[in-house]
Amino acid sequence: MKQTEQFILSEADVRRRKFFTGLGQTFLFAITSVAALAVLAIIFFIARDALPFFSGSRTWAFFTSKEWYPTSATPKFGAAAIFAGSFIVTLTAVLFAVPPGILAAVCLSDLLPFNVRQVVKPVVEILAAIPSVVYGFFALVVLAPFLQDTLGAASGVNALNASIILAIMALPTIVSVSEDALQAAGRELREGSYALGATRAETLLKVVIPSAMSGIFSAVLLGIMRALGETMVVWMASGNAAQIPSPFYNLLQPIRTLTATIAGDMGEADQMTGSAHYHVLFAMGLSLLIFSFLCNLAGEWVVNRQRKRLRGA
Amino acid sequence: MTMWKRKLLDRLFSGSAYGAIAVMAFFLVIVIGPIFLKGIGAYLFEGTIDYRRMMLNQFNRGDEQALDVEWAEVKQERKIIYDALFAFEKELDNMSSSRRRELKPAFKQTKEAVAILLGPEPGTPLPALPRRLYGQTRWERAELKAKDVLFEESWDYSGAQGKKVMTPRAPLFKGTALEPLFSKIEKDLESLMRPERTFYPQFLTDKSIDAHFFGGIGPEVMGTIYLALGAMLIAVPLGVIAAIYFQEYAKEGFVFSLLRSCVNTLAGVPSVVFGLFGLAFFINTLRVSPGKSVVAGALTLALLVLPTVIRAAEEAIASVPRTYKEAALSLGAGKWRTILTVILPAALPGILTGIVISMGRAAGETAPIIFTAAVSVGPMVLPSEIFTTSTPALSWNLYNICTEHEAVDEIRHVQYGMALTLVMIVLALNTLAIVLRAKVSRKLKG
Amino acid sequence: MNIETPKGKQPETHIEAKGFSIFYGTQEAVKRVDMSIPKGAVTAIIGPSGCGKSTFLRAVNRMNDLIPNCRAAGELLVDGLNVYDAGIDASVLRRRVGMVFQKPNPFPKSIYDNVAYGPRLHQSYAKRELDAVVEESLRGAALWDEVKDRLNKNALGLSGGQAQRLCLARALAVNPEILLMDEPTSALDPKSTSRIEELIVQLKGRYTIAIVTHNMQQAARISDVTAFFYEGVMVEFDETSQLFTRPKEKRTEDYITGRFG
Ligand SMILES: Nc1ncnc2c1ncn2[C@@H]1O[C@H](COP(=O)(O)OP(=O)(O)OP(=O)(O)O)[C@@H](O)[C@H]1O
Ligand SMILES: [Mg+2]
Repeated sequence: MKQTEQFILSEADVRRRKFFTGLGQTFLFAITSVAALAVLAIIFFIARDALPFFSGSRTWAFFTSKEWYPTSATPKFGAAAIFAGSFIVTLTAVLFAVPPGILAAVCLSDLLPFNVRQVVKPVVEILAAIPSVVYGFFALVVLAPFLQDTLGAASGVNALNASIILAIMALPTIVSVSEDALQAAGRELREGSYALGATRAETLLKVVIPSAMSGIFSAVLLGIMRALGETMVVWMASGNAAQIPSPFYNLLQPIRTLTATIAGDMGEADQMTGSAHYHVLFAMGLSLLIFSFLCNLAGEWVVNRQRKRLRGA
Repeated sequence: MTMWKRKLLDRLFSGSAYGAIAVMAFFLVIVIGPIFLKGIGAYLFEGTIDYRRMMLNQFNRGDEQALDVEWAEVKQERKIIYDALFAFEKELDNMSSSRRRELKPAFKQTKEAVAILLGPEPGTPLPALPRRLYGQTRWERAELKAKDVLFEESWDYSGAQGKKVMTPRAPLFKGTALEPLFSKIEKDLESLMRPERTFYPQFLTDKSIDAHFFGGIGPEVMGTIYLALGAMLIAVPLGVIAAIYFQEYAKEGFVFSLLRSCVNTLAGVPSVVFGLFGLAFFINTLRVSPGKSVVAGALTLALLVLPTVIRAAEEAIASVPRTYKEAALSLGAGKWRTILTVILPAALPGILTGIVISMGRAAGETAPIIFTAAVSVGPMVLPSEIFTTSTPALSWNLYNICTEHEAVDEIRHVQYGMALTLVMIVLALNTLAIVLRAKVSRKLKG
Repeated sequence: MNIETPKGKQPETHIEAKGFSIFYGTQEAVKRVDMSIPKGAVTAIIGPSGCGKSTFLRAVNRMNDLIPNCRAAGELLVDGLNVYDAGIDASVLRRRVGMVFQKPNPFPKSIYDNVAYGPRLHQSYAKRELDAVVEESLRGAALWDEVKDRLNKNALGLSGGQAQRLCLARALAVNPEILLMDEPTSALDPKSTSRIEELIVQLKGRYTIAIVTHNMQQAARISDVTAFFYEGVMVEFDETSQLFTRPKEKRTEDYITGRFG
């Protein structure tokens, strides 16, 4: 009837099996490491091509001088204005995006009925999915003429234009991450507050949002990273003038950012791989990389702290 | 605080929250709307007789005999214009020198404007650039160019800002042999150009002629497909395997959290830095190709989307009910068999959602391919050339033809068409993702 | 202990625990259990919630391996071989020791593929042979007549009772010798429950069946022998008729008369 299969293995079989399982796991581990350690390779190679730039006086000038003449006979690599440009558009974009972003997240998590939310969420997703170059195109052909005509800017491509578009692009990230944080705050918390007679605004402003603060903070950080790392939009919409606007809050003046400089100059510089111009662009890449690491670290720190607090430490 | 103040605050707060959603929807409409409306114009427009001649000559499309007949008729119509030009040139020789000095520049401008509107005058040597071989191929451009014949454009700088002033030319040439030309163009432009509703689906696949003056965006579309597919071919196996490792094999500990942080950090690297890395590593160090190439670009994009793929696959695997795994194991399946035959199939829709979204991302990214793959003009790349040749791509070429092209204003329709095509590709992929996700959640509900 | 099968023969022991313990980390969930489960009979395991019934049952086909830091001590013998020995192939063991879970858990595949899943794992069949195995298994689980016209439909469309019988058919298809059932009817309506009970009675003899249940009547109705667990300890193990009518232990009596649990 039933053939009884031996389920005990010989020692050789056990060893063989162990070997193959080990081999399989090693293979999985190796592939995963490749995927994960790619980021270390990125740091290494960007740093390798950036370091030759940092020699003595050039380093100092890079961070402090506003003279950016990379292709003149005696090239000057003062990137202070470019750093300032990145800083200005990022900051402005985030300032534009955070208040509506949080409000929209509140609306999605607390105000809209379930079936309406199902319709609105794709709007956020699509806004996030539109390629940046399309946003750049929009900035160039629609927003720039509009700014020129209505605000009387000398040129429609300027810091304001880039900031507006970056804000639109950072919005979806801020909305969806904040919404997750607000949802995670939980029903009990809300019900507790309503039970004390608080209105919806009071409940949200005084109880829910404060308790979701760490999540909202990481949402803002992600928004900052998105705006800072964005290339095409600033390249197309910011005017690309390596100058600090005067006064610095005059957003109607053109500026230039790190990302746009890399994208715009590498086309010429890569023909002369190894030139100072090539290396300075990698130095900018390294600066961007370091900044995004810092944002990541800050994010993880906040999340960890929150987790500890929830555990009651 | 009094009750009514609290109520008011509540209303205000809710109102502004709804407002924020409205603002987002507004942005979406404002960005997509124009691209959609004008982008259609690349596919659907009023094509003139010159368009049909161009198509016949350059792409061998259309009914040659019918066109011959039509062309003969149009030539008859246009003869009035050329006759006028010819006669006036004669007349010019016999004018007093002061009058000649007055009229000659305007005449030259007019003649050039006519050549732009109607193409090169019959009997003159053919110009080299294809864009000069034909008159205006699109009716709305023809109408615009007709204005250049009829009016002289000048700028008035007396105010704070320059103002465009359009002065009609006809009065200047009143009483000369050129006079009929203006009235003909003003009144009979339609019979000169013969606009017809034209549907041009091949815009998607045709090569471009003379830097996008004519033809379509085939090489760009092809390049985008190569890059997006290539990136996914590399990123999906890597990402899914890594997700399996993280979810099914890895044990909590130092190595695990190190790998985890690495993946998280990778997700935060700015896209242009990926481009730099691709240049420094894939091209300058590994030398996967002598210079920019499809493969180098695909590798770079693969790294860019890798964290998204890993996360999506992990989420999908984690959401497969544990009971499936138990059932498979209880039937005597090994761990690996269980993963292959039960967990991955059940996680497939979720994984696919992630893949499709990442693919949209890869198709739309520009910065990573600038130094690794993209070229401004080029023919369609053949599969055999992917290791050696750079390729045009929708994202890069959209940037290129709206900033660096020598006649940015002349080819707006191509720019919009390209933007629309890119947006549609990305949106189609995202819609697919939304549908897939709805399917998953329906399945999980039972 | 002297246990008699209904036929009155001296039974053969199929599963034997000797000083067998299971730990979750440091918590001992099953404490030094000694018991012999007879071949071809239905053995019921009863006891209050959290007393370690499932843990014990899941040890027999080593499903506990899935739980990190779950550890076994002592011996658990199937056909005289310790299943926790180093040389044991858990897959082959599980093929001989089938399991039906508390909640029906069909795969999100067709009914046919669900049943064919096990056979395909272990052997390559011709289509005809596989069809025969599937039919036989479905008949064995008394499901054939209900599903024979929709074998290619997704199994997630079955009712709870049907799904549970499908899981039984799926387990039968790999031709096991032992069937472990962890509260197989607790998620089902009374009618489905009685069908499963009928099935268990039909299947006994051919299979050694161990069933965990919270339903005392069920244990009394279908089992030949019953084990009572309490806080990880096996308190009493006897013929079902004995245990339910003349329990030897005070705790058993308290439990079966409903004084706690
Ligand atoms: N995965 C686990 N990790 C740690 N402890 C566990 C785990 N599973 C069960 N336990 C513990 O082991 C003990 C026995 O659990 P088990 O599930 O075997 O009880 P049970 O008798 O089947 O109960 P029930 O009748 O409720 O199903 C319980 O105290 C339980 O908390
Ligand atoms: Mg249990």
